[in-house]
Amino acid sequence: MSIVTGTFRALAAALKQLPKKRMTLRYPETQLEMPGYYTYDPKLGVAKPGYKGRHILWLDKCTGCQLCSIACENISQAIEMVKVNRAQPNNKKSIFPQVDYAKCVFCGFCVDACPFYALGMTDDFNLVAYTKKELVYSPEKLAVPPKVTRPKVKVKFEKDVAFHE
Amino acid sequence: MPVGATGISTQQVEEDKLVVSIGPQHPGAGHFRFTITVEGDMIVDVLPDPGYVHRGAEKQTEYRNYTQSIPLLERSSLTDVTNIIGPYSLAAEELMGIEIPPRAQYLRMIMSENQRIISHLYWLGIQAIFLGHSTMFMWPLGDRDLLIDLGEMIGGARITYSYWIPGGVRNDIPGNFKERALKTYDYFEKRLVDYERIFFENPLFLKRTQGVGVLKREEAIRFGVVGPVLRASDVKSDTRLDEPYCLYKDVNFEVPVYKECDTWARCMVHLFEMRQSIRIIRQILEKIPSGSVRVKLSPQQRTRPGEAYARVEASRGAMAFHIISDGGTKPYRTKISVPSFRNLIVLKKLLIGSHVADMPAIYWSLDYWPVEADR
Ligand code: SF4
Ligand code: SF4
Repeated sequence: MSIVTGTFRALAAALKQLPKKRMTLRYPETQLEMPGYYTYDPKLGVAKPGYKGRHILWLDKCTGCQLCSIACENISQAIEMVKVNRAQPNNKKSIFPQVDYAKCVFCGFCVDACPFYALGMTDDFNLVAYTKKELVYSPEKLAVPPKVTRPKVKVKFEKDVAFHE
Repeated sequence: MPVGATGISTQQVEEDKLVVSIGPQHPGAGHFRFTITVEGDMIVDVLPDPGYVHRGAEKQTEYRNYTQSIPLLERSSLTDVTNIIGPYSLAAEELMGIEIPPRAQYLRMIMSENQRIISHLYWLGIQAIFLGHSTMFMWPLGDRDLLIDLGEMIGGARITYSYWIPGGVRNDIPGNFKERALKTYDYFEKRLVDYERIFFENPLFLKRTQGVGVLKREEAIRFGVVGPVLRASDVKSDTRLDEPYCLYKDVNFEVPVYKECDTWARCMVHLFEMRQSIRIIRQILEKIPSGSVRVKLSPQQRTRPGEAYARVEASRGAMAFHIISDGGTKPYRTKISVPSFRNLIVLKKLLIGSHVADMPAIYWSLDYWPVEADR
C-alpha cells in the first residue's frame, strides 16, 4: 500500500466515526446501572456476583463473632468492632463491625468470612467526603441501604456503535 | 553512575556527548528511570534504573495467609490482575492438594483472556500516544471500558477483582453474561478493523516501527525474554501451549510468530493476541459445563510442607510463582518471576545505536510495567 492510499484509508476510518453516537456517559447527571449487591452464601461456600462497593450490614443477623474483622486483619485493618447501644439476643456483647473507607480496598473477603448472612456489599461507589472521619461508617450507617436518585443508563450496542442510554 | 550509587557521585562526560535522565516521575516511563547518553541524534549508552516502586510483595506474603495476600499481589500489576493471581493460586492449590472443578477452570480462563485484552488495549493506547497518534489513544481506552464492564459483571470491581483465589473462583457468572459478552466482542471485533485502518496500516506507524529496535532470534533466546517480545522474535513460545494449565488444551487458538523481529512485529503480536483471546472466550462460552465453582477452604487453610512452582501466560509473558511452605498457614518463602523484569534486560540492547526519536516506540513495545517489575 502506498503512502497516499494508506493515509486516505486512515482518514476515512476516522471520518466514519463522525455521525456515531457519543460513547461516554454523563456522570454525575446519569450513572451506569450496576450489577447489584455482592453477597456470600456460607452454606454453599460461593458468592453471588454483584458489585463490591460500600458494605451493608444486616444488624439483626450479626452475632458479633468478629470473623469479618479477623479476615480483614492482614488486608487493610479497615474493620473495627464497636459497641452499639442495641439489645439483641443473638449478639450478647452488642459489638458490630465498623468500616473505615479510608483503608478498605473493597476486596470483599470480609463478606466471604461472615457465617451468618449479616454482611454484604452494595453497588454504592459514591463515597466522597470532606474529612477522613466521615469515611468511618458506623454499624448504624452501614445498615442503611444506599439510595441513588440520579437516572441510570445502560450500555447499548448497535452494529458498530456502543453508547449509553 | 545511578545504578547502585550511594550518595553523590560525579561523572566525566565527553564534550560532544549529553546525558539525559528519563523518569522517574511519570512522563510515560512509569515509575522508572533510565539515563541515556546521546551523541548527536544517536543513543550511545543506556542505564536502566528500576526499583522505584519496590514494596516487598514477596516478603509481605510471608506474613499473610493464602487468601489475604491476594489483594496485595494484585496491586503489583493493575492492568493484569487476574494473571498475577493465577500462578499464585495454582501453586497454593498444589500445596494444599485440592482439585478445581472444571467450571471454575473455564471461568478462570474467561477472566484471564478478558484481562489480556484489557491489558493489551492499555498498551495500545500508550504506544499510540508515544508515536503521536492521539486518536488511537482515545479509542482503545474507550473500548477498554466495555471489557472492564464485563470484568465488573463477573468480578464485582472495575480493576481489582480478586477473582481467582486458591480453591477456585469467588463466584459464578451472572445469567445475562453470555449475551452481553457476545455483543461486546462482536462490537469489539468490528472496532479492531477500524484500529487496523487508522493505526496498524497507517504509513506513519509503519515508518516509525519497521526495522526499528530489531531483536534477533538468537539474541531473544539468549537474553531470556518472554511473551510478546519473544514471539515477535520468531520463537513460538506460549505457556498456554507449552505447559497447558487450567483447561487450555481443550480450546483452539493460534500463537502469533513474526519473522521481522522489530518494533512493528511486537505491535502486531498484541493485535493478533486480542483476536485469539476473543476466539478462546467464544469457545468457552459455548461449551462451559455447569457445576460448582469453588472448593471451600477453611479460613486458616494449612498446606503440606514442600515446594510448588506454577507458571501462566500473563499478558506480558510467562508469570511464575515459586512457593515454599513449611506446612503452616502462610508461605515460608515466595518468589515471583515477572515478565516485565525479564524483558527489561533487552532495553539496553535495543536502545544503543538507535535514534532518540525511536526511543519511546522501542521502550513501550516491550510493554514494560515498572510496578510489576519491582513488585
Ligand atoms: S472489603 Fe476487604 S479491605 Fe474492605 S473491609 Fe472487607 S476485607 Fe477489609
Ligand atoms: S458481620 Fe458477620 S462476621 Fe462480622 S461480626 Fe457480624 S456476624 Fe460476625
